[in-house]
Amino acid sequence: MKKYFQIIKGTWAEYMVYRLSFVLWRVRIVMQLLVTYFLWWAIFSQHETLFGYTQSMMLTYILLSAVVRPFVMGTRTQEVGMMINDGSLSNYLTRPINLFRLFWSRDIADKSLNIIFAIGEIAILILLLKPSIILQANITVLLFTFLALVIGVVLFFYFSMLLSLLGFWTSEIWGPRFLSFILVEFFGGMLFPLDILPESLFRVSTLLPFSYFIYFPLKVYLGQLSVISMISGLGVGLVWALGLKLLTELLWRRGLMVYSSEGK
Amino acid sequence: MKTVRKYFILWGKLTANSFLSILASRFGASIFLLGKTLRFLFFFVFLLTIFTKISFIATYSVAQAVFFFLTFNLIDTTTQLFFREVYRFRQLVVTGDFDLVLTKPMNPLFRALVGGADPLDLLMLIPYIGLLIYLSLQLGGIQFWSVTLYLILILNGFLIAAGFHILVLALAVVTTEIDHTIMIYRDLTSMGRVPIDIYREPLRGILTFIIPIGIMMTFPAKAFLGLLSPTSMLLAFIVGLVFFILSVRIWRFALTQYSSASS
Repeated sequence: MKKYFQIIKGTWAEYMVYRLSFVLWRVRIVMQLLVTYFLWWAIFSQHETLFGYTQSMMLTYILLSAVVRPFVMGTRTQEVGMMINDGSLSNYLTRPINLFRLFWSRDIADKSLNIIFAIGEIAILILLLKPSIILQANITVLLFTFLALVIGVVLFFYFSMLLSLLGFWTSEIWGPRFLSFILVEFFGGMLFPLDILPESLFRVSTLLPFSYFIYFPLKVYLGQLSVISMISGLGVGLVWALGLKLLTELLWRRGLMVYSSEGK
Repeated sequence: MKTVRKYFILWGKLTANSFLSILASRFGASIFLLGKTLRFLFFFVFLLTIFTKISFIATYSVAQAVFFFLTFNLIDTTTQLFFREVYRFRQLVVTGDFDLVLTKPMNPLFRALVGGADPLDLLMLIPYIGLLIYLSLQLGGIQFWSVTLYLILILNGFLIAAGFHILVLALAVVTTEIDHTIMIYRDLTSMGRVPIDIYREPLRGILTFIIPIGIMMTFPAKAFLGLLSPTSMLLAFIVGLVFFILSVRIWRFALTQYSSASS
């Protein structure tokens, strides 16, 4: 356990070495948030309610997505693909360390640092922009939101790891990751709540695991789902998470059989 | 004239190499192409979804909003087609390989800015241009002056885009940071996917005069639709020219700060 805590500390230290890069990364995140925020602010300038959302509900969704995103999707697992491709994975295979736990630790470091900054940035933006936002006080809803976030974190970890493990069979790891980003951006609900989409597209989105990254936790937070919908949503998310975990572990074992430590 | 010819031949050779290098991995290229297509289609769906509930954004109809979005894609994609090398510049700086560029009888800015065009963006341009022609016919026909002004303002948009990319390169020379700055530029310009008139003040003013995204992305389409005053056009050219000259000067200053890391 101690060694994994050291990994967390090491990852934090890494970020502090490349301070300008980290600052610009945070600027970028704020910029992405503002782009979406101002777009919705403009759309709501002539309307009280759209797609069943009031302006405050929509702006709460957009602002909170900036906190949920680094919590769920903050990851370092993309490095695994590069490690496989350049052969540096061998350095880790010979050490008394579990690669999955190593990357869980790195992800915890990444998520914690980004969330601290995200909360600070959101607080400043709320003070500056003074949007009317929804503060959820219902303990049950908050508990379900937390569970939805945990499932989102697990789901995204294995999803991202799965993309990296493709590196065992191909050196073209960035193409699938780019494609996945486009799909997650749309079907994950990063730009808007998915239920504003036409019925057929919304149905497609609910069949995919991406909606559990951003949309589902925020939909739960806004209190728009019944208890049964929340429980069934958590159940489906859990099945997706377990399924992806099993698939990732299977690919990891199969991948190690074909791993040739190319480049080393 | 001889210098122009030399750089034109150089650009041809660098572009041919870049095309060969990217198309060598057909699987990766196909996936990236699919991703770019989906990104376009997804925002298009989002735009149409918005218009199922509201008839107008600001004063723009759905066809006009789509025309603005296509113009954004035309400028954004052409910019990426020509300036893709900027995304690879960091590697040159952090490894010290930029020294090799500086010692060659070639303008280093030319090599860093346009030294590696992207064939995937060239392919993406075909449907965008086709859709733009189709939509402009729907919007009341193609007239000589509207098309001329549209094209001139698009060229002005490229000039501003070149200025932004030069600023990113200059920052990379001084700080070795580029990956996030170029993406900040992309995020900022993405505000031009819709006409900037829809944003409220003071954001609209900022996007026109301070960070000239509006001049770059919105003005050409407005000119085509006959919604841009002569004063605004004059202002657009002045801003474009001043912004470009300023960015080249900043690049020249940045070169004096180059420390040849790792070499």
